[in-house]
Amino acid sequence: MADPALLYHDATASDADTLTASNGTGPAFASAESSRFAQTSLPLRQAPRRGAPPHIRDVTEKFTAACQALDVGQLVKDEYFTLFESIGAIEIMDPKMDSGFLQPGETLEDDFDPLAPLLPEELIGIMDQLLSYEMAWHTGYPLSQTLFTSVYIDRLLWPEPESIPQAQFYRDDILDDKRPGTLLDVLRAYCLALIKGCDYVIAKIMARDYFEEEDFSTHTYNRVLFVQAPIDVFLRELDASVEMIEDPDLQIDGGIRSAIVARLHFRKTFLCALDPECPLEILSSFWPPVVPFIDQVNDTHILGKTVPGSFSTKIQRRLASTVPPRPIVQVEFKDALQTLKQLCIDCKEATRFKDLPTDPLEYQSFLWTFASRQPAPLTYSRSYLSNILFDPYVLNAPVSLPLEDVQSFVFHESPILDPSNWALSPPRNPLMPKSPRLQFALLIDEFVERVGQSYLDLWVALGQNKCRLRRMLTHVIIAWDMLQQDAVFVDADLIAYALQLTISEEVMDGPLQTWVYIKKLWMIEKVVVLGFEQDIYLPDEYAGIYYFLSLMATKRKDALKRCVEHTNDRTVQFLQSSRFEDAQNTSEKISFIDSELQQATGISAFAKALHGIYTIANYLRLLPSPNRPFSTESLRYELRMKPFLSLQPPEVPPFEEFQAAVQPYGTYSDPSPSLHDDLRQADCKVWSDIDTSLKNAKDAFAKVKKYGAKESKAGGVEQAWNKEIQGMLASCIALGVTVAGLKSAVKDIEPGSKVQVKIEIPPAGASKRYVEGWIVPKIVKG
Amino acid sequence: MHNTEATAYLSHLIDQPLRIHTSDGRVFGGQMKCTDKHRNIILALTYEYRAPSADAIRKAVQESGNPSAPVNWNSRYVGLVVVPGAHVKKIEFVDSTLSGQPGRVVL
Repeated sequence: MADPALLYHDATASDADTLTASNGTGPAFASAESSRFAQTSLPLRQAPRRGAPPHIRDVTEKFTAACQALDVGQLVKDEYFTLFESIGAIEIMDPKMDSGFLQPGETLEDDFDPLAPLLPEELIGIMDQLLSYEMAWHTGYPLSQTLFTSVYIDRLLWPEPESIPQAQFYRDDILDDKRPGTLLDVLRAYCLALIKGCDYVIAKIMARDYFEEEDFSTHTYNRVLFVQAPIDVFLRELDASVEMIEDPDLQIDGGIRSAIVARLHFRKTFLCALDPECPLEILSSFWPPVVPFIDQVNDTHILGKTVPGSFSTKIQRRLASTVPPRPIVQVEFKDALQTLKQLCIDCKEATRFKDLPTDPLEYQSFLWTFASRQPAPLTYSRSYLSNILFDPYVLNAPVSLPLEDVQSFVFHESPILDPSNWALSPPRNPLMPKSPRLQFALLIDEFVERVGQSYLDLWVALGQNKCRLRRMLTHVIIAWDMLQQDAVFVDADLIAYALQLTISEEVMDGPLQTWVYIKKLWMIEKVVVLGFEQDIYLPDEYAGIYYFLSLMATKRKDALKRCVEHTNDRTVQFLQSSRFEDAQNTSEKISFIDSELQQATGISAFAKALHGIYTIANYLRLLPSPNRPFSTESLRYELRMKPFLSLQPPEVPPFEEFQAAVQPYGTYSDPSPSLHDDLRQADCKVWSDIDTSLKNAKDAFAKVKKYGAKESKAGGVEQAWNKEIQGMLASCIALGVTVAGLKSAVKDIEPGSKVQVKIEIPPAGASKRYVEGWIVPKIVKG
Repeated sequence: MHNTEATAYLSHLIDQPLRIHTSDGRVFGGQMKCTDKHRNIILALTYEYRAPSADAIRKAVQESGNPSAPVNWNSRYVGLVVVPGAHVKKIEFVDSTLSGQPGRVVL
């Protein structure tokens, strides 16, 4: 227990901001009214209080003497002050930490006068520079190193104006002869709209549950970006500026005049497009008008003249930031315009989302394709799409989206989803059993509710950048795994009630768990393929990972096959009972499941072929194999499989099984002698397995292609879908060439001899691969 | 000074408002949280004060016509800081005890 006297706190004054220079001894704290204080013996840290006019006492000497008497390593400290807290302290006079530290001769602020008249060329220069910084911010740099380095923007935002008319390059009264001229007024309007645009961007990005400080900095350093002001205020300012510039009395060159007007128009259209209040129906009409102005801005950029003095790193010292000023981010104007254009194109593309048919699988295809766009969409574009996706208009669709998804795989014209089930009322007497049909409705409702969160999680993950998508999917998979276990129980109940009604042959075996399982396996496959796309794996691991991928796709294939069989059964049942319309509907739906089935078949077969070829390459020592002194194969396997280890049913094969698959001839360094005999024979099982798989893959992908994007529920992204399936077919053909090349290279191989060819792995992201997630090796003469 | 006495004296200053003048002319006002043999001082809830530049003073005098016109010091909140002993030029204790109240810190 502390000495109560120590805890007896007097009033203190430490928050005074106004100090006078006339005080010779240094700043004096403003006096505050004295206050009453209570004594407490509780071990609490007391808040500082305002108190009587302070006496200032110089304690330097005594303090220094006391410090000297301390032992080395001895700390005198507040008992509640921890080492952890102290780490957060900024070291004064350390140039890397102390944002107030000035180099000898350095001044705190620049002496740029934002009220000095501008030349028209300089106005263009400043506008273009601001645009560059705006785009640098969009690509992830903080405002402090980009837009907030502008003296003009600083003046508009600080001290914080109470209204837009007060947001000027000066505050309070000003002499008439100092009042800013037309060009400065135009610049002000441009800056205001720019700032409001930033506010809209931040609002949109923060509106999502997940926004990414990694990719985008939403920090405004305690500056308020006109959050309260409505858009029309800014549009009016811009319109007024256009008028001022177009005024024939203004002495200005024609080309420059139109260049400035183009910039103002750009700002106006861009601000309108960024407005988060845009109604969903007319979203798409906002982006196209921006693009022509971007081109005009680009063409007239050379007319501008930069004003380097109007940007300063020193402004950062006055922002609510604890880091010393950092250099201004330099972005080439043409790169900035490229970014801007991409942003407009991506957002325009995102607006197509609302035209998709109300089908969650179409949504899924669209989200996936959007995330795969090259160059990768910026944070803003992704948030833009998510905001459309999570718009109540989309989410509160008349049909339950997860149920719609379920229906696409199982439950075709099923008695379980008969709408009349929902029309039944429970019996008046609660002790009476509910009718089985009503139970169907209740069970399905319960399940749909249970699915909701996992379903949204999947969509949220699909809205991230691809690296994060891969990581987040592994978490989503775990949630779906639990969902699968719950689905088992719902399925059991459904079957029980179906038996009561003697319609069990009309219900598929374990419909809901099958559906969940198909979705879960699809996600696992995606995680693995994304890993290849992002170069997570090393070449000598390819064989094992493709083996795993092939396993997963095979499991999905089997599950889908059951769906197809059930759908076929149903069609036959309908025909037998002369329900021709239902039979027709059901058999139409089969094309989607079959296209999924073919896709899974293709993936599984192609992955198997790649597994085969990479295994051979490993034995022939054609792949670089790094020296790994501190790990074992089983540990590495465990690490790669970590995200999937907990899944039920177990998806990860035991290590022994895995090893048998990737090392059928024993270790790579010391293979069994039969390896070389087998390799020499082109019709041996090693080769024929690959050939068969490859052929199966080709056939399956060709079937998928024949179904087309619409049948595969990717009608909204037909172009990308076609490109992908075409890429898969091309990959198959390329692998065929590789297999043939390798076969002929080993036709007279002897144990111990070296193969006279080399394997080339196409690098990621260099458009050297037909499909980014599928690495087809190339044989080159060694 | 003996170690016990020194420790007691410094302990009394814990959580007290101090103003530390640094070698570059700035003043830091905050609550003392910790110190050691090298006179490194950690202050919490700190404000940084900086004397106005010569230009600013000249301008204020010109505009008001009063040679002793008050000019505000620039201040900003910096939070938790550690002032290295080597840069401490002067330490001031801000004693705001009311007269008649028992003084707590023995100076």
